Amino acid sequence: MTLRFQPSPPDHVPAERMVDFDMFHIPPGVTDPAEIWHDLVRRGVPEIFYTPRNGGHWVFLRYEDIVEAYRDYSIFSTYQTPVPPIEPYPVVQPQGVDPPEHNVFRKLLAPMFTPIAVRGMMGELERRATILIEPLANRGECDFITDYAERYPTGMFLYLFGLPEERLDEFLALANTFFRSTDPDARARNITEIYAELDRLFRDKQRNPGDDIASRIVAARDEAGQPHAWEDILNCGFLLFVAGLDTVTNTMAYVWRYLATNPAAQRHFRERLDDPDAFLRAIEELMRINAVSNLFRRVTHDCTYKGVQLRRNDRVVLPNTVANRDPRVFKDPQVIDLDREVNVHVTFGVGPHRCIGSMLAKREVMVSLQQWLRRIPEFTLAEQQPEGAVFGGAVMGFTALRLHWETAARAAA
Amino acid sequence: MRVIANHQLCQGHARCEDLCPEVFATDAVEGKVVIVMDEIPAALEDKVRLAVRNCPEGALRVTRKAAAGDDAGRGEEPQ
Repeated sequence: MTLRFQPSPPDHVPAERMVDFDMFHIPPGVTDPAEIWHDLVRRGVPEIFYTPRNGGHWVFLRYEDIVEAYRDYSIFSTYQTPVPPIEPYPVVQPQGVDPPEHNVFRKLLAPMFTPIAVRGMMGELERRATILIEPLANRGECDFITDYAERYPTGMFLYLFGLPEERLDEFLALANTFFRSTDPDARARNITEIYAELDRLFRDKQRNPGDDIASRIVAARDEAGQPHAWEDILNCGFLLFVAGLDTVTNTMAYVWRYLATNPAAQRHFRERLDDPDAFLRAIEELMRINAVSNLFRRVTHDCTYKGVQLRRNDRVVLPNTVANRDPRVFKDPQVIDLDREVNVHVTFGVGPHRCIGSMLAKREVMVSLQQWLRRIPEFTLAEQQPEGAVFGGAVMGFTALRLHWETAARAAA
Repeated sequence: MRVIANHQLCQGHARCEDLCPEVFATDAVEGKVVIVMDEIPAALEDKVRLAVRNCPEGALRVTRKAAAGDDAGRGEEPQ
């Protein structure tokens, strides 16, 4: 499949659908990066609009359209979608491939992330949460991002990939450059380094297979009984590295930030530590309201969608945070109702590319919160927060989140 | 009452299993829904309806008990 990028001159976009919107730019003073999206809705911009920023792209704002775009890969492809466009770009497996080819790696990975598989990880999830939280309890403060939210999913990645624990800081550094660097040279070097690490890892797992995801990917055979192409194996490792770290880190950051400013919500969770159904229902609501990902699609052919002319290779951005507050789908969408009964949020996407790690991600958040609340009393945001520690883009979030709580020692003093 | 799953639509979110594990499970290969009960006991009907309404793919539906000779899919409850 060759589908070279051609910048779409926006002459097919009528003036009334043009909106100047930069999804990467968070204006000074904005403390929640998702607000730039909700601001569009408040301003009443068209629900399908085009912005010339970041190479030019469409934005869908209706739940119904976002869900359709996730499902209809005949128009909305996941093949080489980055915004702004980068070409060539790795064809990540299986996320960057449309059905039916997508099924090859999807089927390979699926058994490793089913609810049954994730139930088998619960002990490890609890153990890792405890190890990280216990030393924090007596400190009375922390930077939630660097002390917990980025270490936890990265540590879990090392475990699932059969990598030694000592390499945590190295992988954290690789991930942080990938997600935060805006220097094109540093980014190019970083991607080369990540691929070099993956190459070493998979070669090692070929020689010394273990019971880990990397070993299973490299040992898998295609329908003809042949090993998968080495490039695809690397691209699959790359996807798992980039998809499961930053998303979980920032979802947790959003959740803890919300709880730190809502003592009643903290109490709601504390009172339900022994009621997993109610605890999970409340987690689902925080998943709805804190959807960190804005996903990209690429138009496969010139067509008219809902009366709007789309052109081949146009990029489309699908903000889950907006879909999740669509009043046509959610009752009182702006209200955070921790007992919400019907909650068809699209935080993990829908359709064939539904986040394969959604069960793991949700349990990472749930187990972390359970272990945290068992060890740490009511916590608040520290008075001093670093300036401008927010970012937008494909994943929105925070680079710092200082939390504070009373310790026994401090209360006695 | 019975519940029917469309495996073409199911993408393995497992929301149904979280909400009503008495009736919904997921398989170990693809993580798709497995309905473990033919006839839903009255005590579980509300829970099952809630699980159906929470499926992000609209892959589940509830039907009245099929009478002998009824075509599958007839007697659907409004969702």
